Amino acid sequence: MKKAIVYAALLPLAILCALAAPQSQEQNKVELKLQLPKPMFIGTPRNIKSPNLEVISGKPRGPFFVPQGTKLVSLKKPVTSSDMQPVIGELSFVTDGEKSGEDGYFVELGPGKQWVQVDLQGEYNLNAILVWHYHSQARVYRDVVVQASNDKDFIKGVTTIFNNDHDNAIGLGIGKDKEYIETNEGRLIDPKGIKARFIRLYSNGNTSNDMNHYVEVEVYGTPAK
Amino acid sequence: MNKAAFRALFFIVFIGAILFRLSGLDLRPMHHDEANQAVKFGTLLEKGEYRYDKADHHGPSLYYLTLPVAWAFSKTSLVSLDEVTLRLLPALFGAAILLLLLLLVKGMGRTAVFFAGLLAAISPAMVYYSRFYIQEMLFVFFVLGLLGSLWRYLLYPSARWALTAGLFAGMMYATKETSVIIFAAAGLALILTIVFQKVRPQTPYHLAVPGFTYFFLGLVAALLTAIAFFTSFFKNPEGIWDSITALKIYFEKSGAAGIHIQPWPYYLKLLAYSKSGAGPLWTEGLILVLALIGMISAFVPRRQKGAMPSPARFIFFYTLLSTAAFSIIPYKTPWNLLSFFMGWVILAGIGVGFLLDIVPKIYFKVLVLLVLAAGLYHLGLESYRANFRFYADPANPYVYAQTSTDFLKLVRRVDDLAAVHPDEKNMLIKVVCGLYETWPLPWYLRSFENVGYWQDPNQAGPLAEAPVIITDQEQDARLQPLLRDKFQSEYYSLRPGVFLLLHIRQDLWEQYLKEKK
Repeated sequence: MKKAIVYAALLPLAILCALAAPQSQEQNKVELKLQLPKPMFIGTPRNIKSPNLEVISGKPRGPFFVPQGTKLVSLKKPVTSSDMQPVIGELSFVTDGEKSGEDGYFVELGPGKQWVQVDLQGEYNLNAILVWHYHSQARVYRDVVVQASNDKDFIKGVTTIFNNDHDNAIGLGIGKDKEYIETNEGRLIDPKGIKARFIRLYSNGNTSNDMNHYVEVEVYGTPAK
Repeated sequence: MNKAAFRALFFIVFIGAILFRLSGLDLRPMHHDEANQAVKFGTLLEKGEYRYDKADHHGPSLYYLTLPVAWAFSKTSLVSLDEVTLRLLPALFGAAILLLLLLLVKGMGRTAVFFAGLLAAISPAMVYYSRFYIQEMLFVFFVLGLLGSLWRYLLYPSARWALTAGLFAGMMYATKETSVIIFAAAGLALILTIVFQKVRPQTPYHLAVPGFTYFFLGLVAALLTAIAFFTSFFKNPEGIWDSITALKIYFEKSGAAGIHIQPWPYYLKLLAYSKSGAGPLWTEGLILVLALIGMISAFVPRRQKGAMPSPARFIFFYTLLSTAAFSIIPYKTPWNLLSFFMGWVILAGIGVGFLLDIVPKIYFKVLVLLVLAAGLYHLGLESYRANFRFYADPANPYVYAQTSTDFLKLVRRVDDLAAVHPDEKNMLIKVVCGLYETWPLPWYLRSFENVGYWQDPNQAGPLAEAPVIITDQEQDARLQPLLRDKFQSEYYSLRPGVFLLLHIRQDLWEQYLKEKK
């Protein structure tokens, strides 16, 4: 009987101990200090100034198929911009057909968010857009967004064709496309045949400086019916 | 130039040199080499540990001389250090070079010393590398200290100047392994100067031949100084032997095919003319042309009564020999030019003094000074551009393998991500990059507790456990199948043509975007 009383008295204590156990185990724990490898020291790296004329991926771009009758429809077409007084070059360089990476072939727009807009002077089914920002040096242009519309002010009927502004830095929405390194191949964008007269291309500086550049923009399409 | 005017003008130039070097010291992102030196210094500061590395990173003087600067600013750990504290040391040494020029006043003349000081104060190369946390400007200071002491010894042979020369020689050796080239050039220049003085006296004046006792005294001073530094102040005796075997390593490196091999005229072309794309023109041609005049003056006899012998011949021989030696060595980086370019700067000062001496009429002197003022203005403008506008731009000829300003955006992004991560600065960061692509990350991520560095991704464990991964392009190509869809990736420029990728795990990225809103 005495034993039973003792067990009965000890039972709540045992329950309390069992409940407290995880906490006391937690209290006995110490933070695991990770031993991560330290950096190794190394001498001066190569001073790279070579022109970026090779394709970074090492593989040429594969063939891109478009509907029969597709033609270059942007050549010599008028160009407007958020910066109508470029720092270097002329806005007409964007559609002049010259794609050389050398000085004298690109237009430089001011720092931060800027756009250029090509007026195709008619509605087209857009089948391919090729963009060369700058390719005499390896760089990445930030927040590249390409839109198409029949409204020259891009207020109504705007379709976003490409957007790699993943943190919505320029306020046109979060984009899912990836950033890329500029090469002499240019960036091929698939507009999937949408109909539009105006193409607007945004950027927001690049990895070398805050300025925005365009060597050429080519729009391929067929007249809209 | 009378003594009072010299003192006043020289003082103004000296103060100007200090201000020029100290302004905006944190403007330029840390160079790969600076970051290596800074992290090494951090270990010395925190743990009192330093061992001379015979394979790389030069001598110990930079680290030990940084200690008092860090203590003065109450910096006791790597995390507490900043760019200004570290770069303060070379900046002050870069300005103190002007004071060492005063050792040459006897013989060179006040006008020549003043203009040499003025040119050293504003030369783009001199100012740019004075703001660099590497050994170079300390080395130039010690080289000039040795040349100045040797000159004083030639004029007034004494134990004092022998010991001073020895001290500077020891510090040179404790700073850079290339000091052996300078020892050879300075020694040969000394012999040639004495021989020439005997064969064709510039002035009827006696130049002392170094005696054995004084030479021995100087040698002892040099050895003791070097031993103290290389042994980490008598804690690492192997450091002495390492400093000797290092010479073999550096000798092999200087001639071996590698990433810093340049043709012989590289340095002279860099100084004479450089233009990149639409960038401005860069030239230190003014100094080169005036130095050529100074070289001619070294062989024009002075016949004035009581004239001192000029150090022009000594500096001429030194400059010629050291320029030739550094040009012949295939391994070239732009900051290596400073130790011989200093000779050109002194000769340029001598050239100005000579020009003003030989021009007969006052209005011709004024004309010379006006042309000189225009040249100095241009040099100063270039220096301003090099240090405050084009400090990280490859259009600047002294920018070499420099970290891009864009890299700082990566650092800011990592800071912003840590601010929204529950572990904050304890957030795990995995850096999987080649060795050359790793730096200066360890400097910029020094406040993070859990950063691991790997060159091989297979050694880095499960990558997805880290909310932030930093890779170079090569590793990115390998890791993309693993990271795609799980991480948001961003490109940042490390150096021109070299990119780093910041991979942010989707959960952290979404949290970041939410907080940003």
